[in-house]
Amino acid sequence: MSITDPRTTEQTPVHGPEEIAKIVAGGNLQTEQMVLNVGPQHPATHGVFRLLATIDGEMLVDAQPIIGYMHRGYEKLVEARDYRQITNLVSRMDWLSGINNELPLALALEKLMEIEVPERAQYLRVIMLEMNRILNHLMFFASFGAELGAITPTFYAFREREDIQFALEMATGGRMHFGYFRPGGLKEDVPRGFIDQALKGVRQVMARIDQYEDLLVGNEIFKQRTVNVGVLEKEVAFNYGVSGPIARGSDIDFDVRKDEPYLVYDRFDFDVCSAPNGDCFDRFWVLIHEVVESAKIVEQAIADLPAGPTLGKVPRVIQAPEGEVYVRTENPLGELGMYLVSDGDRRPYRLKIRTPSYNNVSALQHVLKGTLVADMIAVLGSFFFVLGDIDR
Amino acid sequence: MAILERVDVEQARAHLDGEFGHRLTNLRVNFGQLDMTVPPHDYVEVVTFLRDASGFRLRFFTFLSGVDRSEFGPEDAEERPHPLEVLIHLYSPEHVLHANLHVPVDPADPRCPSITDLFAGALWHERETHEMFGIDFEGHPGLVNLYLPEDFEGRPLLKSFKLPSRVVKAWPGAKDPEEAAAGGR
Repeated sequence: MSITDPRTTEQTPVHGPEEIAKIVAGGNLQTEQMVLNVGPQHPATHGVFRLLATIDGEMLVDAQPIIGYMHRGYEKLVEARDYRQITNLVSRMDWLSGINNELPLALALEKLMEIEVPERAQYLRVIMLEMNRILNHLMFFASFGAELGAITPTFYAFREREDIQFALEMATGGRMHFGYFRPGGLKEDVPRGFIDQALKGVRQVMARIDQYEDLLVGNEIFKQRTVNVGVLEKEVAFNYGVSGPIARGSDIDFDVRKDEPYLVYDRFDFDVCSAPNGDCFDRFWVLIHEVVESAKIVEQAIADLPAGPTLGKVPRVIQAPEGEVYVRTENPLGELGMYLVSDGDRRPYRLKIRTPSYNNVSALQHVLKGTLVADMIAVLGSFFFVLGDIDR
Repeated sequence: MAILERVDVEQARAHLDGEFGHRLTNLRVNFGQLDMTVPPHDYVEVVTFLRDASGFRLRFFTFLSGVDRSEFGPEDAEERPHPLEVLIHLYSPEHVLHANLHVPVDPADPRCPSITDLFAGALWHERETHEMFGIDFEGHPGLVNLYLPEDFEGRPLLKSFKLPSRVVKAWPGAKDPEEAAAGGR
């Protein structure tokens, strides 16, 4: 697959909102604004999310996202818990990428406490993070297809997910909430057979990903529903703080793993996928291509995996010295950051959690304005959000 | 690949110091990121400068939140200089430069100018900070609750707001009795 030219075939002409408006006006149709309430329970929202849409005929005049149905107040809860408890709490934010959520807190504590993480732990972290990224992306590959009426991707994606999921389960015992990262390293070393299982899962995905790409990206119906739909402009993406595959679909090619490498990401050869047009198609194109890049990283990390301990010199009680640090990582859905204010206690004094879906979804109102009602689900699906990640 | 023009953070600090001088207090580099305290009346000007000035171009809006420092440090600590502050993080994608801005506000009458004209992303963040800390953002187009129900009483992220379950029941993670007492915060 090429990563520079997302469109292999001629672009398909579609009826945009302007043409539809012209058709409506030409027929002298009288329209009236009405309010359409979507959610809080709607299959396209992957959770409890409400959209207050004002529609005029087939056009969305305004669409106001309403969140907060899953607000659990993590930022308050963490202030009454010590650091080892928080690891297990934060993995419940974005439940599709549990192990990725555990990383920023561990990194923040390692910075404040000046803990050195053994090489083996860093490599194993990278392997698990990228496997979790593949799981997450395959999940959205499945759900986006399903939302546009293609049910086959769901079966394919879940078949592929299973082997990778099993590898993670072997090491951590969990399938969603892993609780595997510790400040200073990992809970324990991976069991025998983990590497083989991980390689098996990743190679399987690599072998079949072209076929999946054809299934949707090469599909004429899919293109009709996604090309030039829900365009997010580059400057708007910056202005809202949109990150991850959604930003990279808008011609932004930044990736924390490349720009400010953490762990050992600077030792691997991988590309940052980005696409120029900022529409639903490009966002999805970036998502599916990132799977390949993640698989490449896993293979390289396994090939170079050093021997040694998996936990650095960590005091028995995790107690960060007084100080403040902002740490950000590239979560599957975008930039996950934690601003830790420590006053020298066993608990954080304040932990601001900056989740990717929150900023991404705040740009939805801008994108949805002026699109067609029929495109709303395609736009929602292409924003790849997890409600737990928005509401925290 | 993006063409990155990395900027040395120490140089950026010196540049900023020359531009604003004593109006920025506590200007320093913290873990490779610019860190400064900005009074509320200079805040919009500083954010505009950071966003537009060449060499900075911090146009990626990361987050805006608050910190209640009224219980910071040991209980008998001296007077705390900024009991309540607004905290903003901005990032420059092309220069790989971070800035943390601390804006102290008066806890008795917490007001702060809104930056929604500069960063649309602040719309939700300011609403969240308003409901969680009670800070009024002057100029925000609709400062209504984002997460909490309309009739919710109290500002949950202020230190004076205690978790009820921690008040009635000791902190479950504690091994010593004095630790359990501290859990209520």
